[in-house]
This record gives sequence, structure tokens and C-alpha cells, in this order.
Amino acid sequence: MKRGSHDCQSRLPDNTALKQQQLPAYRLQLTATKILSGFFITGVFCLGAGVILLLSAKNIKEVEINYTEKCSDCAKLRENTANFDKECTCSIPFYLPEAMKGDVYMFYKLYGFYQNLYQYVLSRSNSQLMGIDIKDVSNCAPFKNSHNGIPIAPCGAIANSIFNDTIVLSYNLNSSMSIKVPMLRSGISWWTDKYVKFWNPGSQNLSSAFAGTAKPPSWPKPVYELDEEDPENNGFINEDFIVWMRTAAFPTFKKLYRRLSRIQHFTEGLPAGSYSFGITYNFPVTKFQGEKSVVLSTLTWSGGSSLFLGLAYTVTGALTWLAFFAMMAIHLRLKERKTLFHQE
Amino acid sequence: MKPQSLLESDPIDDYLTTKPRIPFKIPEEVPSGNYGLVINGYSLAHALEGNLELELLQTACMCKGVICCRMTPLQKAQVVELVKRYKKVVTLAIGDGANDVSMIKAAHIGVGISGQEGMQAMLNSDFAFSQFCYLQRLLLVHGRWSYNRMCKFLSYFFYKNFAFTLVHFWYAFYSGFSAQTVYDTWFITFYNLVYTSLPVLGVSLFDQDVNETWSLRFPELYEPGQHNLYFNKKEFVKCLVHGIYSSLVLFFIPMGTIHNSVRTDGKEISDYQSFSTIVQTSLLCVVTMQIALETTYWTMISHIFTWGSLGFYFCILFFLYSDGLCLMFPNVFQLLGVARNTLDWPQVWLSVVLSMVLCMLPVIGYHFLKPLFWPVRVDKVIDRIHHCMSHPLPPRIRTRLKHAGSRRSAYAFSHKQGFGALITSGKTLKAKFPKKNSFPFKK
Repeated sequence: MKRGSHDCQSRLPDNTALKQQQLPAYRLQLTATKILSGFFITGVFCLGAGVILLLSAKNIKEVEINYTEKCSDCAKLRENTANFDKECTCSIPFYLPEAMKGDVYMFYKLYGFYQNLYQYVLSRSNSQLMGIDIKDVSNCAPFKNSHNGIPIAPCGAIANSIFNDTIVLSYNLNSSMSIKVPMLRSGISWWTDKYVKFWNPGSQNLSSAFAGTAKPPSWPKPVYELDEEDPENNGFINEDFIVWMRTAAFPTFKKLYRRLSRIQHFTEGLPAGSYSFGITYNFPVTKFQGEKSVVLSTLTWSGGSSLFLGLAYTVTGALTWLAFFAMMAIHLRLKERKTLFHQE
Repeated sequence: MKPQSLLESDPIDDYLTTKPRIPFKIPEEVPSGNYGLVINGYSLAHALEGNLELELLQTACMCKGVICCRMTPLQKAQVVELVKRYKKVVTLAIGDGANDVSMIKAAHIGVGISGQEGMQAMLNSDFAFSQFCYLQRLLLVHGRWSYNRMCKFLSYFFYKNFAFTLVHFWYAFYSGFSAQTVYDTWFITFYNLVYTSLPVLGVSLFDQDVNETWSLRFPELYEPGQHNLYFNKKEFVKCLVHGIYSSLVLFFIPMGTIHNSVRTDGKEISDYQSFSTIVQTSLLCVVTMQIALETTYWTMISHIFTWGSLGFYFCILFFLYSDGLCLMFPNVFQLLGVARNTLDWPQVWLSVVLSMVLCMLPVIGYHFLKPLFWPVRVDKVIDRIHHCMSHPLPPRIRTRLKHAGSRRSAYAFSHKQGFGALITSGKTLKAKFPKKNSFPFKK
């Protein structure tokens, strides 16, 4: 009985390379030679990179001063929120044994401040900060409106908790005279943040542009008075504000506060000598067992003074080389045994 | 036959007398010689009743081959079900007629032959083809490839999701246990959908560990599938451990890099959005390298899928973090400018490379050392294949084999006695290796 042969032929898959699983291909075979040479080269690369990173990190000079408790009773004073209008200042002297050559940066560093908490990170309004809609406070719980019902600008928990200490560095030229070290307030935030993401609303006159909004409850002054000397640094585009709004990933973080202006006595950096920090203590950290310090540091091509990457690379390179030698020994021993076996 | 089967302690006797509730599996036994069993349907009717069926099964499983002839369709199904019930194996039934349908449906895998006896067997089967001999290719080539691909797919899928998710576990310790995600929400959406789906699809469709010629020549390669070697509970635990280790590397290396660190110009690099971008990029590079390592058969399509997915990730990254999109929807796309600012700096790329090195080298080392210290039988076969592939023998002069299906051994004439000895001597079969002094005895 002859079946319909056209039936059978219509079921035949196409005789193409794809359908017959015969596409031209390269077979990856990891032979012993390839693996061992890969380990060797990786070991060399990692060790080299590690040594370079460690050497560059060693050149960095850093000074950190923890002033949480050092400022007389300011910490205790700030624990009570009723004292918000009382000013508390102090001066912390320190000595630089070696000059800090090159660009010097001043940071404030916080310990135990969780800027990465889930609700905290959500509590901001980007459309408000871009100047698109200044009254859009929908995401900013619990800092949406002031007690009068007026929308807060800038709204949200991140903006409300801005770091408001003032730190001034002074240099003692000689025993009687001390001068303020010239520091730049600009150029401390990302270009995209300052010129794209943050934008003041409407007109030139900021106080009228912000009409109909209230200042955040923890702020002493409204946002359009953040820096009245420089209109490029006032309102939402104030760089200290922008730097704070870029929330940190970990509870211990440092943010750029000022950078050295290399003029007058400081063209080569900070000379050795005695200095002091004049601090206006406003930011309360002791209530949540946090700490704060000020950091002066030079930088290098690989970033800050963290030795982590250099150490990690060196350790990885060393382990890789150890593994290489071990695997090479095992491989040679087994090859010997195989050839011996074949000879027998 | 083992003398112990007559003892009281024999597990089958035990089962027959006590009839416990739990399903019973026949223990494996090794026979002391080569046996075969031939049984016809009439005797099978008695052998399949009551307690005798276990004896039948035990005996049959100790034989090299069993021939049951003159069976009814019901008996065919009953034999298959007997094996399925009491043995921990996968059964395959192949048949071409309507009387084979019940057997095909009873087995785990039913194969139908479309041929002289109609379409019934084909319509009820899982696989259908036109000649019995294609069964060899179905099992040794396609079945084996399918098993390998499935196992690779499963272990990679579990691994990449463990590596992806467990990073949040480590981050919880640093974010006040507030369930803050490490990655941006768009990355979480696209990770399994777009960035890692195509390469693993490529492996599942195209991967071949050895090509079909070698698969047919070395049937020993089929063993891992029979023994569940490539994906079982132990392999799953290995995936989990590998995922945990990768997540540790993927979290702590970027964390160490940016913790308390700044860019070369002093500006921020230790912010949440930069950290998120660095971890995302490291994760994708690591899982891409992992699938690249597992792909043994690199077609053009595999290259496009693997490297294309990684490139696509970077394109989407720059798109999602671009000015235009973020300005249009400021509250939805919040990471304006992060990719441009973060991925510009050498320490970020050094951290990505370090994560890749730390994740991949142990895997490669393990692949190198495992066949040396814990060799499996199939490893030796694969070694031989690789050796043969790299040292190809000169092509042998062979007579062109006719299609295996049409190869016939000589038939005995049924109307006359006396040819039995001639046929069983093997002289009438075609020689495997052409010997100069013998030639096929043609009918």
C-alpha cells in the first residue's frame, strides 16, 4: 500500500545548516596549556596593577579630625532641638608636619548616617528640583507641606537633613597672625547635577520664583538665601545642597565640602605648619550615635587613599600565581604518570 | 542467578510477604553470565499474574536481552508498566502499528514509526520518524544533546539569579535592613528579560559538546543522562554555593573600591547611584563571561547573542541615564548622568575587572582539576575524542556502506533444513573491516 508520499516529504525539515544543526562553529576547548597560561598572565596583570595602585595610594596625604565631642558642649547642646537658635562655635587646632603638595580637598565625613535607607532615598521630588513644577511634593512624605499646608521647597527628608555645619580652615603664618585659607565653593558637584538635574524655577529674582513655598522645617534660612553672594550658587543649584542630595551608598561616607584655591601662600598646596578649623556646630549626630569629622586630603589618579583596590589586586595576583604553580605541578605529575603507564 | 534469591532475606520475598505501603523498587543485581530471555504471549499471561510478575521482572532485568513475542497489545502495555512500577528507570517504547499504541502510551517516551501500518502509532507518540534505525540518532545524538543543553541551562539560570539576588542580602547589613535594593528598578526589570535571556537561549538551542559523528561512534557518552549526572541535587547545591560566592565578590569588591573614596577631581563616587551602576556592570560582565565559558559550540548566532546582549546593556544604560529621558520623566528615571560620570574613571573599571577575575578563575580551576581528581568514566571518552580530533587519522579506504537500514543479514530458507550452521557461523555477514581474504557471500 503506497501512502501519500507528499505527506512524508512535507514533514521533512529543511536541509539548511540551521535546521540540521550544522552551522559553522568554533569549538571552545580549554586545554591545559590555555588554562595554565591564562592563570599566569592574569597573575602577572593583577600583581602589576596591585603594586601600581598601592604605590599611588601611598603618596596620598590625609588628615582626619573627629570633632563630634571635641567642640566643648556643642554636641550636648544640639541634642535638644529647642536650642536650634543658639549658636555654638569652636576652634580645633592641628599641626601639619609635612606640606600637602598639589590640590587639597576638604571633606566632611559622617559615620552612622544611613543615607541609603529605603524611605529616605524615595523622599525627594526630582521634578521640583529640576524647576519643572515647584509645587510637586507628591513623593516627599513626610516632609510634603509645612504646618500651614504650604508645599515645602525643597521637599523631602533628604533635603531637610542637609549638613549645615560651617568649617573654616585657618593657617597660622606666625605665632600672632592667622589667615583664612582661601577655599572654593564651586566645582564640588557633578557637572550633570549642577547644570541639568538641578535648575532654579522661573525668574531671576529667586525669592519671587519661590513664592508660595515654605522652607524645610529644619532649615534656618529658605533655599533662596543659601548663598546670597553668588547667584550661580543660590537656590536649588547651590553646590553644597547638590552634593548632599546625591545620597551616599553606605552609612560611612565623606562628601566634598571645599577645595583649596591655589593663590597667595598656597600656590603649591598647603605648607607645613599649624592650622585650625573654625567650626560652627549645627548638625546633631550624637542623638543617633553617629560621628562626624573633617578630612583634608590630596588625591591621585586612582582616587582617594583607600588601599583596598591595591591590596585586593595584589592578593588576587599572589593567589593566582600560587594556583598556577600548584596546577602546573599537578598537571606535570599526572602527565608523567600517564606516560609511565603507557610505557609499561 | 544468585543463590540468595531463594533465601528468606531476599527483598522481593520480603515485599511479597509483608506488602508494605511505600512503593517498592527492585534492587539492582549483577548476573554471573550472559543470559537472554525469550517468552511468548501465552506464557506471559501466566507470568504477569500476581506474585510472579516480580520474579519475571527480576529475571528479565538480569538478562542481556529479552524477547517477548506473540503478545497482545494489552500485554505489551503491561510489560512496560511492570518495568515502570518497580524499577527506577526511564522507559522508551517504539512501535509502528496500531497494536503498539497502548505500549507507546504506557512508556515514559513513546516513539512511533510512520510507515506501512498506518498513522496510529505516530499520532499517539512523543516522537515520530519513518525508520526504526533513526532511534539511534534520536537517543545518541539529539537526546544526549538535549540533556546536556537542559542541564547547562538550568544550572546557569539558577546561578545567575542567585548571584543577582543575594547581593541584596549583603547590602541589608549596610542599609539598616530597610530593604533598599542595590540595583536601579529598570535594571531589575530588564535583567532576566533582556540582558541575560538571549545568550542562554543560544546555548539551549545550538550547543553541542561533541558533534554527531562522534556521538554515534561513542555511545558511552550517553551514560551521564542515564545516571542523572549533570543536574541533580548536588549540582544544584554547587550552583547555590557558586552564586553565593559570586554575590559576595560582586558586592564587596565595588564596596571596597568606592567606600570612603572619591574621584580624581574630588567629586563624589561613593554615592548610591554610582555604586548601583558599578555593581550592575560587574554582575553583567561576570554572568556573560560565565555563559561564554559554558558555551562549547560557538556559532555566529552565539557570538551575536552573547556579546550583543552585553553591548545592548550598555546602550540601554546610556539611554536610560540620558538627559532627554530623565528630563521628560524626572520622577521615573532618576539616574541622570550617572553612567557618564561613573564609568569614566579607571578605578571603576579596575574593580569590574577584579570582580570578573575573582569570579571566573575558581570556576576555570575547578573545571581543570575536577577531571584529574574526581574522574568520571565519560571524561576519558571525551579526552579520547579530543585527542582524535586534534590528531586526525588519515582517511581509511572503506567500501561505501549502504544505508544501515537496508543492511540485511542473510536469511535462512524456511522450507529446508540445514542452513542454520552456515548462518550462525557469521560467514554471510558483511565484514566490518575489509579483510583481504574474505569477501561477502552474496545470496
